Amino acid sequence: MGGTASKLPKELLSEYQELTFLTKQEILLAHKRFSELQGRENGPYGSRVSMEKILTLPELKSNPFRKRICYVFSTCDLGDGSLSFEDFLDLLSAFSDSATLEIKSHYAFRIFDFDDDGTLDARDLEKLVNCLTGETDDTRLTAEEMRQLLNNILEESDIDKDGTVNLSEFQHVISRSPDFVSSFKIVL
Amino acid sequence: METIPGGYEDLIELEAVGRSHRAVRFDMTHGDREDLEAQHYHEPKQRNSWSSSTQRVLSSMPSRSIRWNQTAVLSQNQSRSTKTRRRRRAPKPVSTTFSAANRDVFRERKTCADDVTQDEELLNKLQDLPAGESVRLLREMPLSVSKKREIRALCFSWELAQPLSENEALFCHRFQACFLKVLCGCWLGGLSQKKSIQLWQKVFKNISARFGTGILSYFIFLRRLLLYNILFLLINGLFLLLPQISNPQISNPQIPDPSPRSPSEDEHTYLWMLTGTGYLTDSVMFYGHYTNSTSGNCQAKATECSHYNIPLAYIFTIGTGMFVTCVMLVYRMSKSFEKSFCTFKATGNLALKVFCSWDFKVCRKRSVKLQAVNICTQLKEMLSELSCRKKKRNLCSTLGWLSVHLLVWSICLLCIGACMMAVYYIHPYLEQGGSMPIQENYPVHLLAMPLVVSCISHLLPGFFDKLSKGEDYNSPSVHIYVSIVRNLLLKGCIFCMLCYYWHTKIDDAEKGQKCWETFVGQELYRLVLMDLIVAVLHIILAEFLWGMCIRNFTFRRRKLEFDIARDVLELIYGQTLVWFGVLFSPLLPAVQIGKLFLLFYFKKTSLMTNFQAPRKHWRATQMSTVFVSLLFLPSFIGALMCVIYTMWRIKPSSHCGPFRSLHNMLLLGKQWIVDLGGSDSSLKWLSFAYLHLVDNPLFLFILAGLFLTIIYIHMQVLDGQKLIIGRLQVQIDHEGEDKKFLIAKLQALNEASALSREVSIWAFL
Repeated sequence: MGGTASKLPKELLSEYQELTFLTKQEILLAHKRFSELQGRENGPYGSRVSMEKILTLPELKSNPFRKRICYVFSTCDLGDGSLSFEDFLDLLSAFSDSATLEIKSHYAFRIFDFDDDGTLDARDLEKLVNCLTGETDDTRLTAEEMRQLLNNILEESDIDKDGTVNLSEFQHVISRSPDFVSSFKIVL
Repeated sequence: METIPGGYEDLIELEAVGRSHRAVRFDMTHGDREDLEAQHYHEPKQRNSWSSSTQRVLSSMPSRSIRWNQTAVLSQNQSRSTKTRRRRRAPKPVSTTFSAANRDVFRERKTCADDVTQDEELLNKLQDLPAGESVRLLREMPLSVSKKREIRALCFSWELAQPLSENEALFCHRFQACFLKVLCGCWLGGLSQKKSIQLWQKVFKNISARFGTGILSYFIFLRRLLLYNILFLLINGLFLLLPQISNPQISNPQIPDPSPRSPSEDEHTYLWMLTGTGYLTDSVMFYGHYTNSTSGNCQAKATECSHYNIPLAYIFTIGTGMFVTCVMLVYRMSKSFEKSFCTFKATGNLALKVFCSWDFKVCRKRSVKLQAVNICTQLKEMLSELSCRKKKRNLCSTLGWLSVHLLVWSICLLCIGACMMAVYYIHPYLEQGGSMPIQENYPVHLLAMPLVVSCISHLLPGFFDKLSKGEDYNSPSVHIYVSIVRNLLLKGCIFCMLCYYWHTKIDDAEKGQKCWETFVGQELYRLVLMDLIVAVLHIILAEFLWGMCIRNFTFRRRKLEFDIARDVLELIYGQTLVWFGVLFSPLLPAVQIGKLFLLFYFKKTSLMTNFQAPRKHWRATQMSTVFVSLLFLPSFIGALMCVIYTMWRIKPSSHCGPFRSLHNMLLLGKQWIVDLGGSDSSLKWLSFAYLHLVDNPLFLFILAGLFLTIIYIHMQVLDGQKLIIGRLQVQIDHEGEDKKFLIAKLQALNEASALSREVSIWAFL
């Protein structure tokens, strides 16, 4: 914020361009928005923005997965979901237009893995369905419906029948949907 | 970890344990035995029922480690690249340290030595590949940017301060990538994919934020049509318009307009823009204006002149434009098919719905809530469908269902027939005996037919939709396809009727020494314009006014719902007219460009004001494929067939236009190629190629045979792959069984050793 916009050094900009799926304009826009969130003008690279501030972004504000997104992309040791500028670029890159299906499905898997154990078990799936259907009472599924739904999901996607959906199985399911790539997008 | 008991007796014991657990699912909730076929999974109790040591072992399984997934990506990419073909061994199950945010359960089990080894292996692999490849590979790995930068710095042995552009190999690769990108972006119509040309990007973002991907697909389709028209116009403009304009000294015989400018025409000239008559009749807008001679650029004493043969240019320009459009359409279609083709038959769609249905682009609170409600409704519907069997129809209800369908179809067909009659007879009704109303006293009458056609094509599909609400369909997608078929049938029949009518008028025109091509061009021009006017009126009346009434005067204050299929078909119909009309009116794409621009802004404003987010799920990719296929197959191919028929079979009018002395338009091209063989040596091969390859049935037969062989081979390859997939599925099932067995055994072992430890403690005490 302020009259003089802080500039990304050119080498850094081109490095980011090569290592992420973002274009130059997108990286510059991300830089601008990140600086606004920080409220500072120069060099946001080193410092982190807390999760609460990130969640004020209009693109994330109403998303039911916003907290999971922050936790997944955050490289902070404390595990508080705060993002540095590079984490923010990571986020935008995974959600960008040209990210590959593998990257998107990998991050989607990690976002849906609420307990971070590397698979989606029934508990994760239950939380996922609750996020999808909304938090209000009238849109929740009944216990019976939830049980039936979880059974069906595991039946359809658990190939090796171990009761959980691991990453390969998840990617296998995702590959059947042509809409996934276009719906797993966030654009600033 | 507890030691595994050795000894023969223990093995037998384990066998017994394993056997008893083999039939059990993974919910080892205290010995419940479930039926294998019932396939019920209990509530998540399985984790609590496992002992902590079992859980620890499970957590460190390779398939659950993020690191394994990252190296899996690497090995996938490696097998794709031609440089190295080493098969990667299954890595040791170690938690990742690449991104410290992986708060995995087993973080405390990391061992530094293993990590270093893994890092080194990764670095070695990256260094083996060429610079561009390794950067691309690094980009596709699911690591954090900071870690990627470290790896990259190590990989290329750069100092971090060194500017990146100094690396030659990388620079070359980037240049190559840029060049290819620009080339592809320009010529393959990847307007919506390439970042360089982004028209209306912000608007699209707003639309998708509020309404989702389904409605956005309509606007993306519109933008794509705009691109095709712009390209066509460019080609026509460069090769046809400019040469014609830049040679005004060519004496153009006036197109036979029998009567001189009468006073009544002067009064009505304000309508020339709408009717295409008046000033426009003898302009570059229409066929009749183009000269049939070569425009020369001869210098005073030069022996050679650079000739620009306008008739030949006419054929080749239109041909090239059609060819370029065809290539772009086929490319777009192939990309869509690639995306929406499902290789595997889905046994059910619930998992797909749960994992893939959330649209992350939607960000307004109300739309998010609406999306959640939609998904909930759909899940409930799908669950209820699964639980109750498909309702069996008895004879009575089947008959009733059939009769309703037959009734609606017969009403639709009758309406279509009535419209065709109306279109055919409206001209004679207005003309009252005259042959061609080029010279007219009432130019407004010229607009009557286009008005009728546009009204029919806008209003009748709505009527069909209302009728079909009474029908009962098995699934909503069948409903959509049926309404699309009806709509297409209506528009196709009207178009055929128009073509037939114009065809009957050709002889009359020849007798009257009039220019029938200009007439047809003017009719199409009027149709396109009227379509725009009626569309705008429809938006204003049916969307703004009616939407306002609905919003303010109904109890629930709901908004309208956007009918994507109908609007896309309108666009397709308009584009068909343009593609057919470009032969008679080379600047018609310009009119279409203006129309698309206007339509975009009107529709966007109307959408934001009057419409709500869709309540039903719209399979955007699948429907986009259907629409692009419809744009190609009935629309473009139909127009192309009509154009080819016109060029090949119909005699051009002998009083105007570039082909007035010929029997048909294509003869000129043939003549030119044959002449080439005789005269000029540099292009002799072209003439040879034409005579012996294109005109030779044997060669075409051989070519067709070759294509069929290739298609057959591909089909056989596909069949083989399906077989392999089936076998792999069986193998995976077996592996799953083994995994279950082993985990059950592990659990039993841990329980047994825990028990024995307890016993020994008690014994000690």
